[in-house]
Amino acid sequence: MADSEFQAIQDRKVRDEQMRNMINRKLVESGERERLKELLRERLIECGWRDQLKAHCKDVVRQKGLENITVDDLVAEITPKGRSLVPDQVKKELLQRIRSFLASQTNI
Amino acid sequence: MNSGGCDHLSAFKEEKGIEPFRIIFSYFISCCSRESRKRKALALQCHTCRQMSPRLHSCLHCVFFGCFGAKHIHQHAKSKNHELSMDLTYGAILCRVCSDYVYDREIEELFRTQQRKSALLLGMLNPFSPWEPSEMEVELLHQNPKRRKIDGNSTIGLRGLINLGNTCFMNCIVQALTHTPLLRDYFLSDQHKCQMTQESQQCLVCEMSRLFQEFYSGVRTPHTPYRLLHLVWTHARHLAGYEQQDAHEFLIAALDVIHQHCKASRNKEDADGNTAQVCDCIIDRIFTGGLQSDVTCQECNILYTFRLEMSPRLSTPSGISPWISAPRKTTLHLVSWSDPCATDSHTLISAVFSNGLDRFEEATSLTYCLRRFTRPEHLGSTAKIKCSKCHNYQESTKQLTMKKLPLVACFHLKRFEHSTGYHKKISTYVSFPEELDMTPFMSASRDNNNGYSHQVIQEAASGLTSENKYSLYAVVNHRGTADTGHYTCFIRQHKSHWFRCEDHLITKASLDYEVLKSEGYLLFYHKQILDYE
Repeated sequence: MADSEFQAIQDRKVRDEQMRNMINRKLVESGERERLKELLRERLIECGWRDQLKAHCKDVVRQKGLENITVDDLVAEITPKGRSLVPDQVKKELLQRIRSFLASQTNI
Repeated sequence: MNSGGCDHLSAFKEEKGIEPFRIIFSYFISCCSRESRKRKALALQCHTCRQMSPRLHSCLHCVFFGCFGAKHIHQHAKSKNHELSMDLTYGAILCRVCSDYVYDREIEELFRTQQRKSALLLGMLNPFSPWEPSEMEVELLHQNPKRRKIDGNSTIGLRGLINLGNTCFMNCIVQALTHTPLLRDYFLSDQHKCQMTQESQQCLVCEMSRLFQEFYSGVRTPHTPYRLLHLVWTHARHLAGYEQQDAHEFLIAALDVIHQHCKASRNKEDADGNTAQVCDCIIDRIFTGGLQSDVTCQECNILYTFRLEMSPRLSTPSGISPWISAPRKTTLHLVSWSDPCATDSHTLISAVFSNGLDRFEEATSLTYCLRRFTRPEHLGSTAKIKCSKCHNYQESTKQLTMKKLPLVACFHLKRFEHSTGYHKKISTYVSFPEELDMTPFMSASRDNNNGYSHQVIQEAASGLTSENKYSLYAVVNHRGTADTGHYTCFIRQHKSHWFRCEDHLITKASLDYEVLKSEGYLLFYHKQILDYE
């Protein structure tokens, strides 16, 4: 790989990183992040995601025993399932909301 | 996971009090001012790798933020011997020595208050908080250790009903009601507080409560609803006796009696005589919606808009709805057009059927019926309105649209024609969808068209949003003639299992081949998305 190419990829990584941080900051600053979280929470409850995950957590805890499990174990155990169970519709809606939020921000 | 609490946390609290927790929480988790949100946005990064990583933790002993994923917080805690840190997303406290998150009631209480303040600031009125049992509920759970887990294949909730002598009209409605998700949740969560303390044996709501207990108890033998029947006889005299009755009439009577026995808003109603105010009993909360009636003067195109309540409860068996006179803004002229057919969601289909035999060929789908119901209708020369603009009696058009959708929409396909001299049953097949989008029939769709369109349908907008979508969950069928026959029903269990209920017999049914092909009489639709109140 040519050095210049490598450099370009590096630059892009840095730029992406900066962009991500800036977007994150905007979301926090405006309170939009909290609103999005609440919206996501609502949607996940509506579609039964929360109940499903809760039932799954209970199963895991029961299986391993309450004394032998840490929050981190539980998180590691349920994360793959949790991610895969989020309906596409919910992801789409969230993405849409983030997009329109960014579009409304003039100084990005 | 240590349920006994963490000694390290208790010791820390003892020494420094609760203030450090409050400071971190209110500055970096739930901010209570614009200023602190700004500061939070700048500060939220790992002090080791400078990333804004998820699951950032703050040390409780010194000023240090570190990510959890890359173990920077762990490294810090170990090298500095700092035991406690706080997760900066939710405020959970991590103890290095216990190597797990630890809990403290006082701290959690503090966080909750802080969270509510912050949410309010952002305009979120009722942020979600999970259910927590009260002391009494904990006690009850201890006393009743038996638990029941219901999975997707469970048949719990399915129970046949013994026919007590031509009571199939009641049985099929009971099946439909017990499988109404919102009603089920209401009754199974024991929300009814009996208002008839003197004679709770007479309370139909209490009886419904018991009925739900019976249905969801897991018992598989048919239930004998004799108490219910007795109560119906007592409270709805016109249904008493062992004769065949109309299921629709029974539904209306049952909902009305339940509403009366809830009594929740009776005082309110009496106080100012304001009947337009929507009652907050469980029946009205679920079944009542609102209609908008737009009357346009043919001469000067001026538009009058009226709001009408639509509730199956209010529709009387004869089809003349008493609420027509309720909206006080309406003039007498309008009251006089009390078109007995086009009244509420319940009888709206009758608008199509009762218009004469020649229309039957057209009325072959539910959406067609709804379209007809919501299209502008010429009121003719016998029902002129007095226009306040041109000060004259003018011919007009009237258009009904849905202002507020009920959570459960129940459609009554008026299949029985009772004219003087003959009774006739109309057995025409009317197709109905499993999923129904009400968007085109909403007042909002009409208003978008500037109010002058002759058809309110807006196909483009539908499909994109599921806001006004409904799912079919019960269908009541009648076979036989206008004078004699038999009621059965289909009900939905879980998300997609269908069953056919015929008194004590319950059999599996296919949605496509049986339910949607049946000659529906009453169609029950449940809203898919429920708004928060």
